[in-house]
Amino acid sequence: MERVILVRYTEIHLKGLNRPFFEAKLIENIKGALRGIHCKVHREQGRIYVTEISEDRFDEAMERLKKVFGIHSISPALGVDKDWNCVVETAFSLMEKQVAAKPDLSFKVFARRSDKNYFMNSDEINRELGHLVLEKFPTVHVDIHKPEVALSVEIREKAYIYAEEIPCANGMPVGSAGRAMLLVSGGIDSPVAGYMMAKRGLNLSAVHFYSYPYTSERARDKVVELTRLLSAYAGPIRLHLVPFTDIQMTIYDNCPDKETTVIMRRLMMEIAEKIAVNDGARALITGEALGQVASQTLESLCVTDDAVSMPVFRPLIGFDKDEIMDYSRRIGTYDTSILPYEDCCTVFVPKHPVTRPEVADIRASEEAVDFTELVEKAMEETETLIVKASDPKLI
Amino acid sequence: MIYFDNSATTRVSTEAAETALRYMTEQFFNPAAAYTPAVRLEKEVNAARARLAAAFRADPSELIFTSGGTESNNVALSGTLAARRDKCRIITSAVEHPSVYEPFTAMKSEGYDVVFIGVQPDGRLNEKEFSEALTANTGFISIMHVNNEVGAINDISSLYRIAKEKAPNAVFHSDGVQAFIKQPAVNCDMYSFSGHKLHAPKGVGGLFVKRGVRFAGGQLGGGQESGLRSGTTNVPGVMALNAAAADYVKNREEYTERMFAVKKRLFENLSRIRDVRLNGPAVEDGAAYILNMSFLGVRGEVLLHSLMDKGLLVSTGSACAARHRGKNRILNAMGVTGERQDGAIRFSFCPDNTGEEADTAAQLIEDSLNILRRFRRR
Repeated sequence: MERVILVRYTEIHLKGLNRPFFEAKLIENIKGALRGIHCKVHREQGRIYVTEISEDRFDEAMERLKKVFGIHSISPALGVDKDWNCVVETAFSLMEKQVAAKPDLSFKVFARRSDKNYFMNSDEINRELGHLVLEKFPTVHVDIHKPEVALSVEIREKAYIYAEEIPCANGMPVGSAGRAMLLVSGGIDSPVAGYMMAKRGLNLSAVHFYSYPYTSERARDKVVELTRLLSAYAGPIRLHLVPFTDIQMTIYDNCPDKETTVIMRRLMMEIAEKIAVNDGARALITGEALGQVASQTLESLCVTDDAVSMPVFRPLIGFDKDEIMDYSRRIGTYDTSILPYEDCCTVFVPKHPVTRPEVADIRASEEAVDFTELVEKAMEETETLIVKASDPKLI
Repeated sequence: MIYFDNSATTRVSTEAAETALRYMTEQFFNPAAAYTPAVRLEKEVNAARARLAAAFRADPSELIFTSGGTESNNVALSGTLAARRDKCRIITSAVEHPSVYEPFTAMKSEGYDVVFIGVQPDGRLNEKEFSEALTANTGFISIMHVNNEVGAINDISSLYRIAKEKAPNAVFHSDGVQAFIKQPAVNCDMYSFSGHKLHAPKGVGGLFVKRGVRFAGGQLGGGQESGLRSGTTNVPGVMALNAAAADYVKNREEYTERMFAVKKRLFENLSRIRDVRLNGPAVEDGAAYILNMSFLGVRGEVLLHSLMDKGLLVSTGSACAARHRGKNRILNAMGVTGERQDGAIRFSFCPDNTGEEADTAAQLIEDSLNILRRFRRR
């Protein structure tokens, strides 16, 4: 008997002629996610099968697959000899666990037969196995419309039997939609924003601005760790760490106090866009939500957008803070996000930032100062890391 | 580099380090073993125990070696409560180190009547509130000797007398991690200390338990430390602690004087800068080795990093709390809030610090403030 994992995908089925591209990408990502665990991955009849999994790492393989975008659900299945007695015994063993948890459950047998030479057809298997299960477990009943347990039997080169279907991350395979650049602050929002866009198939690059020496080494490690957590879903992420202190100092020395935040954000966007071009990214992603803070009013967002020509994706724009926090807990970045280190945005904060900036005013304030050299210097001093889920945990 | 964070930990003295090395590489035996070299080692450990006990005017049998302050504080509470079965009242202060505060907080859900006593604006215990909280069914009291963040000194012997009058059945413990040997010995039932605040290595400390106190001890096993704290004796740690403590005992007055001089000089230098406030007791009333000041208009963490970049290491509070979010519990209890709390920095000294360092440090702070305050919210 062998334990295998059956992988289902949904949205890809909607694709027409491009479907093989999406399927190939998904298989590539599954292989990437399972790197280091011995197994084989192959596609067959609209499903993906993970077989020959090292037995001691089976659960780990399941956990990793739950984070691969493009997968709708997975089922841990038992692969056994097609001999009918063997099929029945295996089905009984799976049902036993389910019945122990809920004695009066409803079930149905769901057979598929790709081995057309098998001595029973699908319908015969359904009836016969259903009958045997009812005899063996008198407390259960059949519900063919909404069964609590779908006892599935697939007759192929072997028989695969399973009773569980575990919902997964859904979405599109990462890399199927191109690449975008995520601005990461170290807070709660940006990792969630990155998660959402990776879920729609984007590869991620990330950029973080820090204010050495005024922000701590731990604040930097926190961002690397958040990126690492995100890469469990998004695959390896190129993280660019940009020293930002000189630019901040110059802004605060030369621009009107209440405009400092919005000018700072424009320069961040400008630098992010330049790095994005080098990385082959075609859009920027931020964790902004409308009205959350002064720099996220509609007027402020317009002014920030004005600094760049790339599209800016803001997947959290319509979310409440509570909803974002829930998401963050679900994807596992929350506890790291709330570690209490100062970041570059909190080091120097004006007390009364402008909430309704006008593009013309901000441009005028910005043009009074020549940032070209400072921006170039910051880019030269930018440090780039490739962050992978398998990296050691930093904090 | 100027190191003004000696309340977080101290540099291990050369003598303590060499002592530890000797007991790691030469006299490495397990002192509980049966052969003669081990027996001799056991005697050395007990001689060290006697010397350390004498420094606290205690009997050697009253000293249990532990892994340090946190273990001592934890086991003082748990071992006392285990020895009496009732859900009694237990009393501590609002400004204790987390290794006292957290175990007390955890006892709430165990059904104990936990009382936290407030402090005066200078960080010392509010004695009136304390006295009023004492009841006949009070089973355990823990009040720190010297506060680790602001250097306020509690008169433990006097608090002990008050406690014994109104709560004769209570065991009175004091966390002496920031005070052991640096302050004159006090009278109480239990007293915790840690080696690494005294130029000994991390991982060794002790708990004094007065004879007659009902105490169930801590971890079980081979029955070391009179059956109260099992575990192979940390001989290198104990012997290094012994060496470091002996030096401190011998030179206590001179060391205190030196540290006071550094503290006063730094305070005077900093007092010349505008918008600077002292937190905690008046300079001469607090511990010689802790100074807590607020720099209005800057965030403590930002100032700390700026000073680090210039080669001055300080802290914003207890290192044990630096990873915790939220406001500073100790300063809150003292009524130090808002901008003043945000801008608080702790300087803590050791006998190696000098007046010149205090001058340089003050200059570096002034330089940093000149930069950071340019960006002050206008």
